[in-house]
Amino acid sequence: MEHRLRGALIVFVLLIVQTTFMPFLSVGGFLPDLLLIWLVITALRRGQGEATVAGFLVGLAEDLLATQLFGLAALSKTVAGFFAGYFYNENKTDQTLGSYQFMMIVGLSSLVHNFIFYTVFLQGSDVPLIQTVIYYSAATTLYTGILSALPMFAFSRRVPA
Amino acid sequence: MLERLYTLFLNFREYVLLSAFVIASFILLSLNDKPQIKQLRAILTVTLGVVQEQIAFIPRYVSLGAENEILRRTNIELADEASQLREARLENLRLRRLLGLKARPGYRFVAASVVNKNLTLLRNSITLDVGEADGVRASMPVVTDAGLVGVVIAASGTYAVVNILLNVDFRASAKIQRSRVDGILAWDGSSLILKNIAKTLDVRPGDVVMTSEYSSTFPAGIRVGLVDRVSEQEGSLFKHVVIAPGVDFVKLEEVFVMVAEPDPERTALERNVEEFLTP
Repeated sequence: MEHRLRGALIVFVLLIVQTTFMPFLSVGGFLPDLLLIWLVITALRRGQGEATVAGFLVGLAEDLLATQLFGLAALSKTVAGFFAGYFYNENKTDQTLGSYQFMMIVGLSSLVHNFIFYTVFLQGSDVPLIQTVIYYSAATTLYTGILSALPMFAFSRRVPA
Repeated sequence: MLERLYTLFLNFREYVLLSAFVIASFILLSLNDKPQIKQLRAILTVTLGVVQEQIAFIPRYVSLGAENEILRRTNIELADEASQLREARLENLRLRRLLGLKARPGYRFVAASVVNKNLTLLRNSITLDVGEADGVRASMPVVTDAGLVGVVIAASGTYAVVNILLNVDFRASAKIQRSRVDGILAWDGSSLILKNIAKTLDVRPGDVVMTSEYSSTFPAGIRVGLVDRVSEQEGSLFKHVVIAPGVDFVKLEEVFVMVAEPDPERTALERNVEEFLTP
């Protein structure tokens, strides 16, 4: 129960940081997704079921604060949480979080998330769908993946040598 | 039976959860236009706006010195321009009266600070710290001294959300100042373009783009930017005209909302004609 309250508090802070400060770190208009990184950490620590629920709730909170399609972030984060949960191994949690495997899982989950997000997001617009989805998904995934190195280094210090 | 179902649920718990939440997400997607959802989002936007307003000074403080310098220079240039414009306005009024042309509706400018930028690349929007209490309503244009910023899409008591030019949902009627060629301003996800410009029409890089008289949302003559590139696409009747917006959206901090109701007579007439023509 305590870890859920702590999780809710972390998500609240990350939402504020994501919407207020992250725009200043935008590269070519692309922003890393802090909440997705947190979701992958949750998936690797708590498993697929909890990550699916967390993905939906975090996405819903994101939807409520954004002007995009309502329910879209909930959908993409639910699937991303479920996907990241495949890499859960309760005996190797710290090793996974503190190694390059973590960056790879963030990258793959981000790719799944962004692919769903932009495919639905672009429906009904004039832009070339496949080309734009690939371009935006790849760029956002790359940035999120690079930023995930920070928690990875933090976790790697915890892993006993 | 129940026990078997429960065991089945436990065995496939993750898949059941995924299915349930995916279905819930699709239901939420179908509820997008419900007024209750819009109201809830407006309340939360206001709450977030209050928090962001308290901490927004931190990044602003860094750029204050450079901004002051630019503002001082702009002030001198504008003072000179204002005196020339006063002369031109008097002349314009005199000539319009001579020709019997209708006077343009006046606008009140409400200054606003950008308290949030939602930069999702395709549907970029900003949140302003002014709202219905300041007379701001949906469909009002937003500008800066550099030109057109966007249009208000939603307003609560003290906050307003603006769709900026760089948004796939944004459309505005615009024209080339030099050659008076008309087109539709749109964002294609990577560039601001002027659509529907036939290959035979005269558009060159460096031309100034302004809003045209054909829009009931934007007053004519607001600067949009400069023509950056003109290319011809094979198999198309139209030119591909890329516009460099006058406004730097990355550094955007203060804007003005042009507060004025659209001409009700014109809006009603255009709506009637549209209804009449729609089968």
